[in-house]
Amino acid sequence: MTAITESNGLWESMYQGRAAFVRYWAYIGLILGAVGLAVFGGDGYTENGYIFQLVGQDGVMWLGTGALLGAGLAIGASTLRPEMVNGYIPKTMVSWLDGAALMIALMGLLTLLEPTAAQVSYKDQSNLFAGHVIMTMNVLFLFSAICYIAYLFAPESFIGSMATAAAWGGVYAGGSSLLLRWYESYLFLGGEIGHAPVSNIYEVFILLFCIVTIIYLQWEKRYEAKAMGAFVMALVAAGVFFGIWLDSVGQAEIKPLVPALQSYWMKIHVPMNFVGYGSFAVACGAGMAYLTRMWLEARNSNMVRVFPSLEQLDQLAYKSVAVGFPAFTLATILGAAWAAEAWGGYWSWDPKETWALIVWLVYGAYLHVRISHGWHGKTLAWWTVIAFLVTVFCFLGVNMYLSGLHSYGRLS
Amino acid sequence: MPAMSKTTDYLKPILLRLGSMSLAITLLTVLALASVIGTVLLQNQDQADYLQQFGPIWYWVFRSLGLFDMYHTWWFLSLLGFLMLSLSVCLYRNVPRFLKEMRGSKVALSDSAMKHMKHSRHWDLKGQSAENVLSVAKERLKEWRIREEQRGDVSYIRADKGKYHKWGYILVHSAMLVVLTGGWISVQFGFRGNMQVPVGSQESEISFLKSTSVAYKEMPFEVHCNDFSIDFYPNGMPKEFKSNLTIIDHGKEVIKDRDIIVNEPLYYKGVRIYQASFGDGGSNIHLKLLKLDGSGEIDSAEAHVYTSYKDKTNGVTLELTDFRPHNVENMAEIGDPKDFQDLGPSVDFIMRGPGLKPVKIRSFMNAFELNGDNRGSFIQVSFSGDTKDFQSVALGLDMSDPQEWKLLQRFLIHLADDNVKNKQKANMQAFKAAMDDVFGKGKRPDNFQAMAMRVLQAAQVIPRLPWPYIPVLDDYDQKYYTGLQLAKDPGMNVVWTGSALLVMGLCIMLYVSHRKLWLIVRRKGNDLSISFVGLSNRNQLNFEHEFNEILSSMNDDMQQLEKGDAV
Ligand code: HEM
Repeated sequence: MTAITESNGLWESMYQGRAAFVRYWAYIGLILGAVGLAVFGGDGYTENGYIFQLVGQDGVMWLGTGALLGAGLAIGASTLRPEMVNGYIPKTMVSWLDGAALMIALMGLLTLLEPTAAQVSYKDQSNLFAGHVIMTMNVLFLFSAICYIAYLFAPESFIGSMATAAAWGGVYAGGSSLLLRWYESYLFLGGEIGHAPVSNIYEVFILLFCIVTIIYLQWEKRYEAKAMGAFVMALVAAGVFFGIWLDSVGQAEIKPLVPALQSYWMKIHVPMNFVGYGSFAVACGAGMAYLTRMWLEARNSNMVRVFPSLEQLDQLAYKSVAVGFPAFTLATILGAAWAAEAWGGYWSWDPKETWALIVWLVYGAYLHVRISHGWHGKTLAWWTVIAFLVTVFCFLGVNMYLSGLHSYGRLS
Repeated sequence: MPAMSKTTDYLKPILLRLGSMSLAITLLTVLALASVIGTVLLQNQDQADYLQQFGPIWYWVFRSLGLFDMYHTWWFLSLLGFLMLSLSVCLYRNVPRFLKEMRGSKVALSDSAMKHMKHSRHWDLKGQSAENVLSVAKERLKEWRIREEQRGDVSYIRADKGKYHKWGYILVHSAMLVVLTGGWISVQFGFRGNMQVPVGSQESEISFLKSTSVAYKEMPFEVHCNDFSIDFYPNGMPKEFKSNLTIIDHGKEVIKDRDIIVNEPLYYKGVRIYQASFGDGGSNIHLKLLKLDGSGEIDSAEAHVYTSYKDKTNGVTLELTDFRPHNVENMAEIGDPKDFQDLGPSVDFIMRGPGLKPVKIRSFMNAFELNGDNRGSFIQVSFSGDTKDFQSVALGLDMSDPQEWKLLQRFLIHLADDNVKNKQKANMQAFKAAMDDVFGKGKRPDNFQAMAMRVLQAAQVIPRLPWPYIPVLDDYDQKYYTGLQLAKDPGMNVVWTGSALLVMGLCIMLYVSHRKLWLIVRRKGNDLSISFVGLSNRNQLNFEHEFNEILSSMNDDMQQLEKGDAV
């Protein structure tokens, strides 16, 4: 979101000073309004009803009041103490929140292209619109991967910008397509099966692409690590092909949720897990870039100049793990909390749980190895790559080869 | 006291080893590898299955290593214990050191330490007072925690940020101890087991798996199941399982008529009661027995699921094992989009009798319809007794219609009368005669062509069945049992506390880096030799940025001073 905006003066001013400060607090008010609605408003929070409350009259009231209050307070406060507007958090957060708002707006626009409820049926979901948006995302991500790889051979800034722009485009297409699927899940069977778009492997894959790309783009923006994109986006591209295959075998359909998954925990646990997986994928990309650079150096290749330094790549891999590790830890804990609530025990040594533990131990060992002397560079680069293979097994292999309670992602 | 120092002499290297990082890494890796085994080898299955799968030798090897219940073996638990020990030693060794370091570390910096700093910069200023430089620098570093020290000609300023980084280490590692302790409490003092309560009855005992056998435990209360129901999505998939329960404690109804569903348990006396499964709670089943002795009679039988019905005349017993009100199956061809249909109620039973091979049969109540056509009733038959081996047998007739059964009987009789060579013609004639017998001469029901097809098919199949009769589900009075899971877990809150500490600690440890800067001003007569060095223990990229920013403003300051402007 900010990569595109930085070049432009008007845009820039949007992310600084009072404009950003007031917007930030308006967003916070909006979010608090949504929480308030869930806790105090209407009939309280219900799994299925809340989303309708949000877009109904109650929702407009609560969210609107929250946003106005937040903005009002921010205007007041910044008038009294102008130096407040230079806080670090609003400046970094507001672009994320803007991005989220834009995505929701995009989804809203796209719903206009949807067929009416009468024109779709559960058995034939082919004329739903999200499929087209997902196809757009696929194309953008593939194009972006190609540009990033081309950039290694022809480091023209034009190719680089195209790669970045396509990656951002892919993120927006992916994010809004997921929201659109959420909307679509209410279109048939009388709205009874509506659920958040994180319930099957196809949907979480789209989420995964977006998270990986966003994390990578942050690194690119801050550390000018463009050559790394070739590796990260190649991983995403491989995922895109897997997603297309899933679609072709009928895994892309919207299906009802089994009773065990009807819980608000799903909406927290699953995305959090994918922040973890996504960061580990980026770390793997950095590791691969590191190994490639070493290989190129050994052959005195010219291409080395495009790459960030070994030191930098090593640090980026570590930074990615440092994002992923706490997120993954939290996700595992949230999963345990859900298990405790849904089936009576926080830990059952279910294969998925055990593999999450294995992944966690592998990255925990990575962090330790890093501090204990001597282990840097090449070994750790290999570690990130192999640890990511373990991660892939955890979120794909377990569902395919091992049985257990987490059968929601089972490929049939 | 030489003896005492001897023991500490012995202990010290052991403690060093136990608290070392390489041991930590080894432990984490070994635990990860061990955990893999438990996921590849299915845990807590039937012993006979294992024996069959691995053969006697490997079975005994695996069994003696406890691999079939691996996470509870002594060696796996010892690994966890060892991890706890290592964590404790590691904390014991490091915490005092870290606390001391956080409280007050040295301000001055030795020359050799300075040489090792990755980030450093040097200035020489002529004719400046050290105080001036120091105060300018302090202004620049006002967001940092600053301490000063003077040693002879040398002044030191030390600036710190993120000093409490080490708390991250303390939190993370003690949190692990807390989580593991919580887990231990759960295992020692908690329980988890299942209970099946038929609708209208009550139960107070749970059963659970203890290593490889089943154990029981009495609860301090009784659970009465008032009702159980399943809600379905319009496409036939289950949407909600709901039990209505009453808890009875010493004869008193303490919780009355409370609904529980999956994900929303009930809580009483420290025990959580979860909706876990359901099954048949002894439904009353009414069967039609269509006799195959040529008499064409239809007997009836009544029994509850889990009981047997015995026919005294021929010694055949039917042991009813299950009843299902819905059988949702995917009716699509392989490769086509899924098409779920409810085939209606079914009953499972095992038929045994003199001279009969025991057989498991699933009998459906409704005839099978495909695209609106009545294709007649069908049953599923398994000679192994395993539902996996069920084979569908189309009976041809719609058994729910007694007239069709009669028609078949008459048809068979008429067919036997005729000795005509032309088979088709014989069929035709026999069917006509049968029709006249059943419906009256010349009268035909609307759908008699389809009926003819069914009767012809049935005439192929039914006379060949080896049984004295075909049992067909006729009517039922359904009763569910609700499968509850009851769990008490006194360690749970300890685990949550540990988890919260863990996440907090991780965030501090990974996102707060301890950054240190030193400004060293050395007086050499009238001149000043100034060094500015920095160090961060994490997040080097950001630190480089931060250091360079301060450095460039520092550089400006120094140039200004050089020019003689007061800042
Ligand atoms: C399950 C157990 C453990 C977990 C989850 C864990 C986690 C961590 C993490 C995340 C770090 C920070 C790495 C970084 O800053 O990049 C760390 C550092 C460290 N760990 Fe562990 N650890 C565990 C067990 C142990 C054990 C058993 C020991 C000792 C034998 C140990 C000793 C250390 C030490 C000495 C540090 C460095 C602290 C510092 O200087 O900042 N850890 N640990």
